[in-house]
Formats: sequence, structure tokens, C-alpha cells
Amino acid sequence: MTSIGTGYDLTNSVFSPDGRNFQVEYAVKAVENGGTSIGIKCKDGVVLAVEKIITSKLLKPGANNRIATVDRHIGTVSSGLIPDGRHFEQRAREEASSWRQIYKSPISTADLANRMGQYLQLYTLYSSVRPFGITAIIAGWDSESEIPVDSEVGSGPEIGSGGKAEGKTYGGPGLFMIEPSGSYWGYYGAATGKGRQTAKAELEKLDLASGTLSLLDGVNEAAKIIYLAHADNKDKEFELEMTWISSLNGPTKGRHEHVPKDILDEAERLAKGALDGEDDDDDSKSEDVKMEG
Amino acid sequence: MFRNNYDNDSVTFSPQGRIFQVEYASEAVKQGSVVVGIVSKTHAILVVLKRNAEELSSYQKKIIAIDEHLGIALAGLASDARVLSNFMRSQCSASRLTFGRAIPLSRIVSSISGRAQSNTQNYGRRPYGVGLLIVGVDDSGPHLFEFQPSGMTQEMIACAIGARSQMARTYLERNVERFANCSREELVKHGLQALKESLTQDKELAIENTSVGIVGIGNSLKGSKIEVFKLYDGIEVKQWIDLVSDKSNISEAVESMEVDS
Repeated sequence: MTSIGTGYDLTNSVFSPDGRNFQVEYAVKAVENGGTSIGIKCKDGVVLAVEKIITSKLLKPGANNRIATVDRHIGTVSSGLIPDGRHFEQRAREEASSWRQIYKSPISTADLANRMGQYLQLYTLYSSVRPFGITAIIAGWDSESEIPVDSEVGSGPEIGSGGKAEGKTYGGPGLFMIEPSGSYWGYYGAATGKGRQTAKAELEKLDLASGTLSLLDGVNEAAKIIYLAHADNKDKEFELEMTWISSLNGPTKGRHEHVPKDILDEAERLAKGALDGEDDDDDSKSEDVKMEG
Repeated sequence: MFRNNYDNDSVTFSPQGRIFQVEYASEAVKQGSVVVGIVSKTHAILVVLKRNAEELSSYQKKIIAIDEHLGIALAGLASDARVLSNFMRSQCSASRLTFGRAIPLSRIVSSISGRAQSNTQNYGRRPYGVGLLIVGVDDSGPHLFEFQPSGMTQEMIACAIGARSQMARTYLERNVERFANCSREELVKHGLQALKESLTQDKELAIENTSVGIVGIGNSLKGSKIEVFKLYDGIEVKQWIDLVSDKSNISEAVESMEVDS
């Protein structure tokens, strides 16, 4: 990059002549080396999944969780510098708990994403700190039960301005992704880390915008995507970690939980099958060629 | 000559997204003498090689008891480990005072990792120049954690850090499946064996330079909740050193010859 040697990339919070903050861009590089994490918003819940690279045979299998519960209804996962991810989780917990203390209700996913976006943006303002070396995904389920607030739009009379929209429900699944710059958006399907390109391409195939994918199918798709995203990085072993949050009348009753072992195992079996299926196709093709020859 | 502009402090990313000050801090860990930790279903142990500055000096302490149920071994800057161990001790007593219980291992580990992380994100401080192995017992059994200057902490089955620790890790990797069902004594033996792998040719394990730390789940027959963390030093480690010495264990020597060929 032409930025190197110009002196504008040595300190955080410094604008380059064309209006960029290079330290934030370098933080993004740290994210691009991390294990893939994804989130899928489904009709009746949200799924989070992460590719946990096994750096050593001596690591305890099944320990060292990468997906964190922030509040009972919200989970987060991040790619990049893992200790920065822990810092992010810690802060998210503080935000969720202080919201509860003030408003006597659980924080909505959108509000938490906003708070964390502000927090990450703070770390781009000063030369005395560095930006977060992570891109984080926040997933949650907001309660659909209506708690009317004075002068709230939609809580007014049944006809006329400010009236209640017919069939309008509140709450539901939420999925947000936050970058080192502090900018964030809502997503139907989000992916970050090393295998994000592959993962994004797969997410786009799912037609998530139509809101028809069920949570259980989402779990299977998430497993498949992590396995597929790992295919570029085959020399390293990995573990799949997956959590979900369903609606109040779904399997997790609005809570963020690890996907139960039997469902996870089945999802992994299907994912491996899908991968082998692709390989088999290749094999059969090459065999055909041989036979023809 | 090429000069690295991105390594002056821990709040500067390199164009590749690396933080050199943190990487340099982990070099300090590699200067320290080797420490080994292993965990089984019942026990977690530390085995360390101590160094003396000169012939007439004492050997630097490497294992620190934190609380009844947990202890640490260090590789790198001992004074940084002292800062962290003092903090861990106060966290342990705070837990006992306010909640009336021993602090769970994962909690104390995440509290020091948070401290270490903040040293890599805020200007004016440097990362800790020490690596730790933390062993202990809580309600979910025995645990072993590795701590790095970056603030990275990982739960392990076995681990070795410090100078020439790669040799010890290779030994541990070869035997990792065995550890879960090992007895207390077998675990120490494996630990010493791993330690031996990383010794230079002129060095040998002796009572002066070897320490062992052991903590375990309690013996229900004796009615003890836990086997309290204990540091074994000097003559107390002779029994174990003799077990793994080349003279007394010919079968092991034959085994290692086979590996070498």
C-alpha cells in the first residue's frame, strides 16, 4: 500500500491527506487472519457459528469457547485478536446490565449494537489507544410482547395518525456486525474472518431476505458454511462451535444457548456429507475421464 | 538498514495487522527456563526447571502458590509474575470474603487476561513479559490454563512454555491421550520426562533445580474436599527425580533410542 512510509499510518486517530485512518485499516487486517465466524437470521431465531482453529493437540477439546453470552437473550462472536474479543464481550455485558438497571427491561439487539458501535468508535478517536482488532457479530431475540410507552408511535388509537399498524409485531430476531471502525449494520446473514468470502457467497444463496428459513435449517446451513469456509484452510484442524436463540415458544425459549450435542452432531454429519458429496462428484468425473481414456 | 517503524509501542498496528510490542513480549517468555503443566481427571501438576545466576547463587523460584486450590508457574519476567500473582491472591480472597467460596479457575484466568489485554490497547504501559501456567481445582474438577502476554488464555490438557520448550511439547503431544487416566505419581513422572526432553546436554534434573507443584480433587475416604496445592522443593522431589533418572530406568532409555532412530 502507498500509505507505508508516509507517516500517516503510524498513529491512531490521524487522518491521511485523503481522509483515511490507516490504523483502523490495519486493524481490519488482523480480523482477516482470524477464524471464520458467521451469523444467520432465521424466521424463528438466530444462529451463531465459529470455526475454532486447533493450534495445538494439547488444547482441551470442547473447552475455550469463542461464542459468549452477553445477556440471556444475546450472544456475540468475533474474528480477529481473541483477547480483544474478550474485551468486547466484557463491555457488552456491562452495557446490557446497565440497560437492565436503568430501564428494567432487557436491552434490544439493535440498542446493544448501537452501544457497542459507539464504544468501538471511541477507540478510533485517540492516539493513546489502538482500535479493536476484531469484527464482532451480535445476535439476539427481542421479546414480542408489547409494553406500551406513552406517546410511542403505534400505541395510539386504532385509526388515524399514530395509529396501530394492522398485524404489526414488535421484537423478533436481530443480527448485527460491527467493524473495528465502529460502523455496524443489520444483516440477514453475516460473515467475517479468513473464510468470509466463501461464507458470504453461501449465505447469499440462502435467500434469507424472504424470511422463510427455519431455525433448524439455519443450524444445518451454518454448519455447512463453516465446513465449506474451512476448505481453503485444510491443513489446520478445527472445531465447530455453534449457538442459537429461538423465539419464546421455540427450543431455547428466547435464550442464547449452545446448540444441543445431538442436533450439532447431526448438522456436522450433514455438513461433512455435503462436502464429501462435492468431492465425490469430482472423483466420479475424473473416473469417467479415466474410463473414457 | 531496514528499521521497523511499527514496534515502538503496543498501540500501533503494523500494515499486516500485527502488534510487534506484544510479539516482543512473548520473546521474553522464551528466555525463561522451561515449565511444564499436565492435568488428569483427578490432579493438575506443574513441573519446572529452576535456574541460578551463578554457581554460588540460589535458584530462582518458578512456582507460586496463590490459594489453597490453585498455583502458577512462570516463564519470563519474574517481577511481572509477582504483580499478577499478588492480584490473583487478592481476587481469591475477595471471592472467599464476599461469596464464601473458592474462585472458579476460569474466572481468575479471565480476570488476568483482561488486565494483560488492556496493556496492549492503551498507551503508556507495556505488555506483561511473562507466560504463566495456572493449575487448580474447582467444582468442575482439575484445570490447566496457559496465559500469554497478549492476554490470550487457553485451557489445555498439557503445556510447556519457556526456553527449548518445543522438545517438551513434542513429548507431551506424543503422550496426550494417556494423561486423563494417570495417577498423581504417573502425572509427575510424565512431567519430569517432558522436562528432561528440553534439557541441554550438560544439564541434568537435580533436587536443586527441580520443583513440582500438585493440586487435586479430594480423597472422599479421608473426607477432604481437595488436595490442597503444595509446592515440592529440594529433597522432597528426590523420589520423583530418581524415578526418571537414566540409570534406574533402562526400559525408558531403550524407548527413546528407538524414537531417535
